[in-house]
Amino acid sequence: MSEMKKIKNLKEFSTSADRFEGANLLCPGCAHSIIVREVLNATNDDLVLAASTGCLEVCTAVYPYTSWDASWIHIGFENSSTAVAGAEAMYKALKIKGRLKQPDRNPKFVAFGGDGASYDIGFQWISGCMERNHDMMYIVLDNEVYANTGGQRSSSTPIGSSATTTPSGSVSYGETKNKKDMMSIMAAHNIPYAAQVAPNKWKDMVKKIQKGFATEGAVFINAVSPCTTEWKFDPKDTMHLTDLATDSLVFPLYEVIDGHELNITYRPKEKDIVPVEEYLAAQGRFKHLFKDQYKYLIKEWQERVDANWVYLNRREEARV
Amino acid sequence: MANTGWDEFEIGAMLRTFEGEISDIATTLQEDRKYTQNSSFSASVADWRIEKPVFNKDYCIDCQFCWIYCPDISIISRDKKMIGIDMDHCKGCGICVEVCPTNPKSLLMFPEVADEEREIENWPAKEKKEK
Amino acid sequence: MAFDKMELRDTEVWDGNLAAAHALRQCQVDVVSAYPITPSTPIVEGYAKFKSDNYVEGEFIMVESEHAAMSGCIGAAAAGGRVATATSSQGLALMAETLYQASGMRLPIILNIVNRALAAPLNVNGDHSDMYLVRDSGWIQFDAFSPQEAYDLNFIAFKVAEDHEVRTPAVINQDGFMTSHTAQGVKTMDDDTAFNFVGEFKPMNDMLDFEHPVTHGVQTEEDWHFEHKARQHNDMMTIVPQKIDAVFEEFAKLTGRKYNQIEKYDMDDADVAVVCMGTSVETAREVAKEMREKGIKAGVVGIRVFRPFPFMAIAEALKDVKAVAALDRSAPGGTAGALFNEIAGSLFNSDSKIVLSGYIYGLGGRDLTKRHLVDLYTELQANADAGKVLTQQQQFIGVRGPKLAYL
Repeated sequence: MSEMKKIKNLKEFSTSADRFEGANLLCPGCAHSIIVREVLNATNDDLVLAASTGCLEVCTAVYPYTSWDASWIHIGFENSSTAVAGAEAMYKALKIKGRLKQPDRNPKFVAFGGDGASYDIGFQWISGCMERNHDMMYIVLDNEVYANTGGQRSSSTPIGSSATTTPSGSVSYGETKNKKDMMSIMAAHNIPYAAQVAPNKWKDMVKKIQKGFATEGAVFINAVSPCTTEWKFDPKDTMHLTDLATDSLVFPLYEVIDGHELNITYRPKEKDIVPVEEYLAAQGRFKHLFKDQYKYLIKEWQERVDANWVYLNRREEARV
Repeated sequence: MANTGWDEFEIGAMLRTFEGEISDIATTLQEDRKYTQNSSFSASVADWRIEKPVFNKDYCIDCQFCWIYCPDISIISRDKKMIGIDMDHCKGCGICVEVCPTNPKSLLMFPEVADEEREIENWPAKEKKEK
Repeated sequence: MAFDKMELRDTEVWDGNLAAAHALRQCQVDVVSAYPITPSTPIVEGYAKFKSDNYVEGEFIMVESEHAAMSGCIGAAAAGGRVATATSSQGLALMAETLYQASGMRLPIILNIVNRALAAPLNVNGDHSDMYLVRDSGWIQFDAFSPQEAYDLNFIAFKVAEDHEVRTPAVINQDGFMTSHTAQGVKTMDDDTAFNFVGEFKPMNDMLDFEHPVTHGVQTEEDWHFEHKARQHNDMMTIVPQKIDAVFEEFAKLTGRKYNQIEKYDMDDADVAVVCMGTSVETAREVAKEMREKGIKAGVVGIRVFRPFPFMAIAEALKDVKAVAALDRSAPGGTAGALFNEIAGSLFNSDSKIVLSGYIYGLGGRDLTKRHLVDLYTELQANADAGKVLTQQQQFIGVRGPKLAYL
C-alpha cells in the first residue's frame, strides 16, 4: 500500500498541487468544488475518477475543456459508481496479467454523484457496488435537490423545502417527505467504511477520505454541499451555511465502520449548537416556513434533529 | 478550435489535459505543468466577476483558510504562503473574504473596475470587537 | 496465478451459448461484467465456470442489472483492456442507454446478443426485436446463423472492434434457443491459435495510463456534437467495412471458413430471392434448393453484417433478381419491416427492375416452416412473372386468424 500523504495542518495542506482546475462552469460559491479539492488533495496517489451526470459533470467537462488533471469518465446519470468499479476491475485484471503500464502506482478509484444521481436514479448501481465491495470510493455531493436541472426535488430534499416540483404555495409548504437516510442504508451493506463529511470541517473530511483510501473495499461518503442557487443564499456565505448545517446538527458528522461501529467525529459544545431555526432562516428555500401557519414545521424539524442526535449518540455508546 | 471540422477531432470526443507525458501530477505545481488548450486552466472566467477580491499581504497571517475554501483554485499559495489571486479563474464569489480571520481582513471585495493599489492604500483600519 | 489451457477436440458439440463462452475464454478477455437473462445466461454461466476452473485469468463481475453490466464494461474498456458481455431482450432494452455511450466514446466492447422477443406480452423465445431496437446505436452488428458462426464471429468481432482505426464496439447476434440452445458440431481452434488470431489487446486513450490522463464522456452541445457524430458515422461507413473484409479474409486463411458481409446462396442465376437473418437463412437455403428442383430459380441472401448495413452489396447481389422478399422477424410497429426498408433503400436508385415484398414472421419464437417458405417462393415467382407485387407489400406469415396484409 502507498504511504499516506502527511497533512498535519492547513499550511502543510496548502502545499498540495491541485488536480482540479478553475475556469470550470460551476456557480460562484459552489461547494462541490471545495469538496472535490479537499478529496483530491487528500492523496498524492494517482486517481481514476468518474462523475454522474449533474452539476459537477456538466460544469467540468464541456467540450473542448476539461477541468480534470487525472483520468476521468462520465457515462450517464446513474452509473458513475459502476464505471469506476469497471475501471477498478480492469486494474486488477491487468495487474494479475502483468500488463499495467506503470505497475508501481497505487491508484484510487473515486466516483462522484449528486444526491439525485445517488439517492434516486443511481441508487441501485451504488448499492450493487457497495454489496460487491469494489475497492472504490463513492462520494455524494449532497445539495438536497436536482440543482443541475433547475431545482426539482430529490429523495434527499428535506421536508418543508420549496423545490420546483414541490413548490411552496398558498396551500403547500413545499416538500412533504423527509430526507432519505442514505448513510444508514449504505452502512447496512456492511461496507468497511461510510462517513458523512462537510467541507467546512476540512480536517475531519481529509481524515475520513484518507481513511477511506487506506481501506480495502467499498467506501461511501456523503458530503453536504450547500447550493447557493437552489438553497438561495449569497455565494459568499457558502462556508457560513456549511457551518450552520454542521453546528445545528442538521448534518451531523460521523462515520460507520464495518456497518456497525458508529463514531461521531464532530461534537459541537452544547453552547455552540445552533438552533435549527437559524439554519433554516439563512436559506430562501425555507422562507415560507416562517409564516405563522407553518411554524410548527420548524418545531418538528428541531425535534427530528434532536432525536437523530440522541440516536447517533446511543449508537456510538452501544458500539454495536 | 472554433472552426474545427469533423475530421480534425480525436475519436470519442476524448480530451487530454497535458501535452505529452507527466510523471507525477500530484507533486507537480501548476506552473510546472504543460497544460493543453483543452484544460480549463487555459481558459478564463474573469468576465463572470462583478466584484473582485483584493489581497493586502500586510495583514495576512497565511492561515490558508482562503486557499482551502476557494472553490475556484484561485488562491495561489506556495511554500505555505498566500502569494496572490489567480484573476483568470476567480469568479468573485467572495468566500475568501468571508473566511479571512484577520482584523482588518487581508482580503476585501471591490468593484471589478476598482484600482487595486489605491484600495490597498485606503485599506480600512482594525475594527473594534463588538461585545 | 497462471491460468490453464483447455484441450479441445477438432470438432466439439456445442450450442451457440457454449460456443460464445469458449470464444470469450480463448480471447482472454480481461473484464467481463454481466447480468444473466434468458436465453443468453449460459454464456455468462459458462464463462463463470471457466473462471472457477482456472481457465480464465481476469475479472468477472456479476452486477445487479444489464444497465450496470454495460456500465461496468464501459468503465473497464475506458481503463484499457479487453471487455465483453452478453445479454438478450429486456436486458438489452435496459442496457440501451449505455450502448450509445460506449459507441460515442469509441470503446471496443464485445456484446453477444442472444436474440429474443420484447415484452409485452412477455416471451423468452427468439425473434429480432432486440436486435432492431439497438440497430442505430453506433455498434458494429454481426449476425450468426449457427453455433459455429457464433464462435467464429466473436474472434472476428474483437479483431475488428479493437483495431485502432476502428475503435467501435461490436455485437454478435444469434437466435435465442434455435442457435443458443441447439447443439451442433463446431470446428474449434486450439487456445493458442485462437488467441494469436485476436492478438494482445493494444490500449488507446486508457485511463490507467497515469502519465497521460484522459477525459472521457464529455458534453458537446450544438457547437460540437454534430461533428463528433459525423466522425463516428464516417468511420462506420468507410473504415469499418474495409476492416471487416480484411479480417474475414484473414480468418478464412486461418480456418478455411470464409465470411462475407452478405452471404449469397444459389444467387448466381436466381430469379427470386429471400433476404433474411439468423437461423431462417438455413431453412431458406434448404427450401431454395427444393424450389430449384421444381424449376424455380430460388436463392437466399443472409445478412452477416447488419451494421454498417451492406447497402451497396445488397443492390449488387440483387441486380439480376426479378422478385425479392425481405423477411423481418420483429413487429414493425406501424410501418414496413426494417429490413424491407433497408433493402428498398439500397435498390431504389439502382437500375434494377426488381419487385420487393415484405414478410413479418416468427415473432416470439414462432417457427418458420419449410411450408411457409415454399408458399413464399411461389408468390415471389408469380411476382417475378408479373413484373409487379401481386400481393400487398407487407404480409404476416405463420400467425393464426384472418390473413394479415397491408400496404
